[in-house]
Amino acid sequence: MFRYSRLLALLLISGAHAVEVKTHIQRNPETGQTSWKTAKQGITLELAQLTPDQSRAFFIGRGFIPAEAEHYAAACVFMTILRNEAAPAAIAYNLAEWRAVDTDGRPSPMKLKEDWLKEWEARNLAPARKIAFEWSQLPSQQTFEPGDWNQGMTTFMLPRGSRFDLKFSWTVQGKRQENIMKGVICANDISGN
Amino acid sequence: MRMTLAVISMVSMLAAGACAAGEAASSMIPPGERKPAPELKLKDIDGKPRNLAELRGKVVLVNFWATWCPPCRHEMPSMQRLYQSLPRERFEILAVNIGEDDDTVLAFIGMLKPAPTFQILLDRDSMALRKWPVMGLPTSFVIDKEGRIALRAVGGRDFDSPPIAAQLKMLIDEKR
Repeated sequence: MFRYSRLLALLLISGAHAVEVKTHIQRNPETGQTSWKTAKQGITLELAQLTPDQSRAFFIGRGFIPAEAEHYAAACVFMTILRNEAAPAAIAYNLAEWRAVDTDGRPSPMKLKEDWLKEWEARNLAPARKIAFEWSQLPSQQTFEPGDWNQGMTTFMLPRGSRFDLKFSWTVQGKRQENIMKGVICANDISGN
Repeated sequence: MRMTLAVISMVSMLAAGACAAGEAASSMIPPGERKPAPELKLKDIDGKPRNLAELRGKVVLVNFWATWCPPCRHEMPSMQRLYQSLPRERFEILAVNIGEDDDTVLAFIGMLKPAPTFQILLDRDSMALRKWPVMGLPTSFVIDKEGRIALRAVGGRDFDSPPIAAQLKMLIDEKR
C-alpha cells in the first residue's frame, strides 16, 4: 500500500513538472482590445492592452499637456494586475528583472516608473501631474502578503503591434520563481496617429 | 468624442479588474511586533485639521486612495458599510485622497452609495503619504488603540467581508 501511494505521489510530482502553465487570452468585443492572464503557484498576472488613445486620454484628464501625454502614449502600454492569491507566504517582485522576449528570442527590459520620472524631471513636469503619474504606474518593486494585489500601468519600449512573451519572476520564501505569459501584443493606434 | 469613448472603455476595463477585489484579510501583526504609525496631520474636505495621534484609544482604518484608481473606487462603499457596523466611539476611518483637488473629490463622493460619513482627508502634495510604507494605491492600514500598525492591506478589499470585519472587531476588543 505504502509502495503504491509513493508511486502515485511520484507520478503526480513528475506530472506537475510537465504541465505547461497556460496563458488565457480574452478579447473585449466592444473595444477589440486583448488581455492575457496566467497563474502559477498562487501568483496571478494579468495584462490588458491600453491603446495610445487611452493613454493620451488618461493623462490629459490628469492635466498633462498634449505633448506630454503623447510622449507616454508612444510606448507600448498595458494595465497590469499582479496578485498574491494563494502563495504560501509573502512574495517580492522586481520589474527590473522582467523581460519581454520577442519572436527572435531577443530580451528587452520594461521601461520602469523611475525611468519615466527622470524624463519628466528633465521636461519639468508640473508637481500635480507628477503625483498622478507616479501613482498610476505599477510600483517597480513590492512585497505582497497573501491577499495583496496591485493594479497599475506598465510600459515596454516596443513598436506598436509587437508580439512578445513576458518572462516574469518573484521570490517566495527565499526562492526565485518564474512564469511566462505567452503571445502578448502591443496595442495598435486606432486613432490613426 | 473619440477621446471620451476611449476613457469610458478604459475605465470599464479597469473596473473589470477592480471588481475582482480580493476579500482575503491580510495577516494581523502580533502585538509585540507592531511599530508606531507614522504621523498623519492633514485637513479634511471641510478644511478642518485632523490628526491621527488624537484618535489614540480607537482602532483606526487609514486608507490611501485616488478617484482615478478603480480598486479605490470599488472598495469605498464597503468602507462605509464597515463604518456603520462598528461602534463609532471605538472605531474611525481616515480616507486620505492623494494629489487631487476638493472639487474632484467632492464630485466623486457625491456619487457614492452609501455616501461616506467617515473623514476624508486631502494630501494635495502627497507629502503625508511619503511618510508611510506605501508603494501603490490603494493601500490601507489598521492602527491599533496604542497607535501602532496592526495590519497592512495592499490593493482593494471588501472591508465589510466577514474575515476583515472579524479582524477589526478582534482589535477593538484587544486589551491595552
